[in-house]
Amino acid sequence: MTFTVTGDTVHGTERIFPFDLIPRVIPDAEWQKIEQGLSQRIIALNLFLNDIYHGGKIIADGIIPEDVVKSAAHYRPEMVGVDVPKDIYIHICGSDLIRDGEGNYLVLEDNGRCPSGVSYLLENREAMKRAVPGMYRALGVRPVDDYADLLRKTLEFLSPRQAQSPVCVVLTPGLYNSAYFEHSFLARQMGIEIVEGRDLVAIDGYVYMRTTRGLVQVDVIYRRIDDDFLDPQVFREDSMLGVPGLMDAYLKGNVALANAVGTGVADDKVTYAYVPDMIRYYLAQEPIIDNVPTYLGWREGDRRYILEHLEELVVKAANESGGYGMLMGPSSTKEERVVFAQRIEAEPRNYVAQPVVSLSRHPTICGDHIEGRHVDLRPFVLYGEDIEIIPGGLTRVALTKGSLVVNSSQGGGSKDTWVLYQ
Amino acid sequence: MLSRVADSLYWLSRYIEHAENLARLVEVTRRDSLAIRGASSGESIWRPILFASDLEDEYENAASDDEKNADVGYFVTLSVDNPDSIRRCIALARENARVVRDQISEEMWVELNSIHLYLKSQAAEQDYLQDPDRLFRKIIRFSVVFQGLTASTILHDEGWQFSRLGQFIERTDKTSRILDTLTFTGDEPERSELLSVLRACSSFAAFRKEYVDGVSFRNVASFLLFSQAFPRSVRFCLRRLDETLHAISGVAPGAFSNEAERLTGSALAQINFSSVDEVWSRGLHKSIDDLQVRLNNIGQQIYETYVHLPFEIRNVTRTEGIPLDWRHQQQQQQQ
Amino acid sequence: MRLRIHHRTEYTYPQPVSESANEVRLKPRQNRWQDCDSCLISVLPAAPLTPYLDLYQNQAHRFQVTEPHIRLVVDSRARVTTKPRIDFEQLPYGMTISDLKQLQELESCYPFLQPSHYISLDREIWRQAVDIQGQSTDVFQTAYAIMEHIFDVYDYREGTTVVSTPAHEVIQQKTGVCQDFAHAMVALCRSLRMPTRYVSGYFFDATHDHHLRGSQASHAWAEVYLKDVGWVGFDPTNRKVVDETYITLAIGRDYQDVAPVAGTFYGGSETLLNVDVSIRRLERAI
Repeated sequence: MTFTVTGDTVHGTERIFPFDLIPRVIPDAEWQKIEQGLSQRIIALNLFLNDIYHGGKIIADGIIPEDVVKSAAHYRPEMVGVDVPKDIYIHICGSDLIRDGEGNYLVLEDNGRCPSGVSYLLENREAMKRAVPGMYRALGVRPVDDYADLLRKTLEFLSPRQAQSPVCVVLTPGLYNSAYFEHSFLARQMGIEIVEGRDLVAIDGYVYMRTTRGLVQVDVIYRRIDDDFLDPQVFREDSMLGVPGLMDAYLKGNVALANAVGTGVADDKVTYAYVPDMIRYYLAQEPIIDNVPTYLGWREGDRRYILEHLEELVVKAANESGGYGMLMGPSSTKEERVVFAQRIEAEPRNYVAQPVVSLSRHPTICGDHIEGRHVDLRPFVLYGEDIEIIPGGLTRVALTKGSLVVNSSQGGGSKDTWVLYQ
Repeated sequence: MLSRVADSLYWLSRYIEHAENLARLVEVTRRDSLAIRGASSGESIWRPILFASDLEDEYENAASDDEKNADVGYFVTLSVDNPDSIRRCIALARENARVVRDQISEEMWVELNSIHLYLKSQAAEQDYLQDPDRLFRKIIRFSVVFQGLTASTILHDEGWQFSRLGQFIERTDKTSRILDTLTFTGDEPERSELLSVLRACSSFAAFRKEYVDGVSFRNVASFLLFSQAFPRSVRFCLRRLDETLHAISGVAPGAFSNEAERLTGSALAQINFSSVDEVWSRGLHKSIDDLQVRLNNIGQQIYETYVHLPFEIRNVTRTEGIPLDWRHQQQQQQQ
Repeated sequence: MRLRIHHRTEYTYPQPVSESANEVRLKPRQNRWQDCDSCLISVLPAAPLTPYLDLYQNQAHRFQVTEPHIRLVVDSRARVTTKPRIDFEQLPYGMTISDLKQLQELESCYPFLQPSHYISLDREIWRQAVDIQGQSTDVFQTAYAIMEHIFDVYDYREGTTVVSTPAHEVIQQKTGVCQDFAHAMVALCRSLRMPTRYVSGYFFDATHDHHLRGSQASHAWAEVYLKDVGWVGFDPTNRKVVDETYITLAIGRDYQDVAPVAGTFYGGSETLLNVDVSIRRLERAI
């Protein structure tokens, strides 16, 4: 399986995403808790988005400072007062979970824009079924193969034309995107078209795709393009990936987008720190899965703490993902720390820090023997008519000994994740 | 199906057909140049290739920039400075195939990917110098295998029809261009040149079956233009093109529903109702020139009918053989 | 049995309304027959929930939407594990009508012997209850007979009653839906001095052809108190003794105490209500 990496030196190169044959096994009871915790979280995040784009009670009630919300890079003033289809903002969410020293699951971050990785999960499962069919059956592993059906149902649920069978498409930035393989994989599995911006055209508030039979109206777009690139008339003018007029059609309710526009404010790393408060506020209950303790650069006390403890902390840029713009305190050089300290001073809002959580380790094949390697877990949550979480998720593993960075773009690998019936 | 997908399938097969024809042309020319050891200069033998592939200007520029390119064979086969070299065509075919990975079979992809990797490698450079036969056999063999796989491993649906369009329009073009090389000097071609042209079209054996009375300029032209049964003749290819266009639109043969069909129908009628004598009296070069213009128009019309929207077509200009000037791709970060 | 419930209540107002104050009782109760593994209640327009326990220890939530709105949605998603409630091989016969006297003084039974908002205990209801009871002196048997009577005689028909129809009208016209059947059962049993409470909840139709009623909406039934056994549920809509396919949301004297969603608002007079309940059994290993 290949994907591409962006960065300073490598550009547009294909790399293999390594796959480890030892599956991670999650017992039923543990999974129940994860499932409930993630459902709770996606509901709270969606209520939060609904709220901040419709008046902002949570801000008025002093739970989250207005600054935090409005200064998030992915906050979209265009979405204020807009009712999104079925009131759902994040339809597809990939939250990263880790386990602390006591074995408790913690949420490390929420990916509420266009989370990727589900194709690896599905392909890993196919590979494991072939590799160890006996074990797979004997253990009673819950299947994951209905993901594409569930995703399609989630999308169809949003269609503004319920009367007829909805036309759904996957919108990809194109061939050179690192996750193109996944986009095309999902489109194929769902039996829908994979389109690029240039395949779509917005006319008089409706979106159509160009086919050899002429224009076909599109109802739901599973977009794997960030907000910024969606529509050059509204967002970045230089976007070559988007569809001019798409937002107009979206705001008129003639086409649905999954995820909705403006969800990035919910997966901002500063907003993240407030998710437990959101859960308490909207749902009147305690978080089922906790956050990793997080220090916020913009809070003066926290910032002082961060600057004084750079060596012990993981510092993250609030709006970056995929392991970019990160400082791993314990393994950093003095120079790196100086650079980060300057950046934090310059843009406190844009930095958060967390203590290094000793990610749990999992046996992994290393050459001719087995060693423990750090892992995390990204389950995929679908929020349509129902909330569905396919059992398991993508277990990412840091292949370098001692490394805590599991991102595929930073030399991580993956494992199949087996959720058992009992 | 998506217009862009149809377009990619069209170009995928068109580039491969193009690469195969170039390979045969270069291989035949190379052999000839060996046979006529010490002839006036390599130049005059290689000239027609540049002419047949419309690359004379590119060649002049590239040859003055890099001495490697002075070798026409290299320029046409492996040069990265030649936008139309076999290596570049295969790379473009692969780009198009990537777009439609889910429409083509795994076998097709594997074949294409491996020839692409080979042509990019040092091994290809080495083969060119030491064992060129192997290089050209590989390319031609690849194309034949790929077309076989196209016929036997994917659904014969609309997408397949578009790949046939690309294949046959390119083949018509190339056969006529190769034939046209005989008019290049203006003199009556020599027998060896006639044989080279037949070989470049893989048609020597087939020709002998239809024309027992011998190899003459008229016979060769007549065969390559009018043969009913030879699968590379202009008539044969135009007939396939016409059938395929009708299969796509669903319109009955003889009628037409768009410009591409009308132009193809009229080109086919022209071939059906004319003879080598007529061609001769108009001049072979002139006739082929007319055909080229028609083919360009047909290509353009296929594009306008199935790929682009009428209201957007105004500002689009396009050159045959050069990949679409699509908007640029942009990298996006992974989450 | 592991069950997953999604209960969506959607009010649509043709004219914007405001100052909406609401109370919901949507969290499944925790008791010895059922564990509420999780329950997520959310409201749109987004509003904070305030939890509290009501008189009958039901988990209720309050919320307010003060700004003008034309739609109010309450979503509840719960996961519940139910256990067998009753041994069908050994039904709890044995308590006699004369034993009922001891229960009159029990604090836990007292409210469920009195008339309440929907339940009046008049002579006519008592007369019918006695008729159904016949010669039986067994409490379980009598309750069962009342349930069967309602199921057999009453006509299940939507639109014949409204949310405010009291028990005596139901008993008179002998038609209605599950709320009415449960009210009728409560009234008939109480008139015989049997402690009986009204239960709001869900019902999972485990039959192959899904012919039972009440699984598409929130359901209601009655529970009768049996000495040494506790509360035993009877579902007159389906003629079933309540088992592990039932999930209890709230208990009370009648619908008034347990309404899943209830509230008031200013403005507009019309309200369109749409309720959707889906219950799924979570898969087991094959």
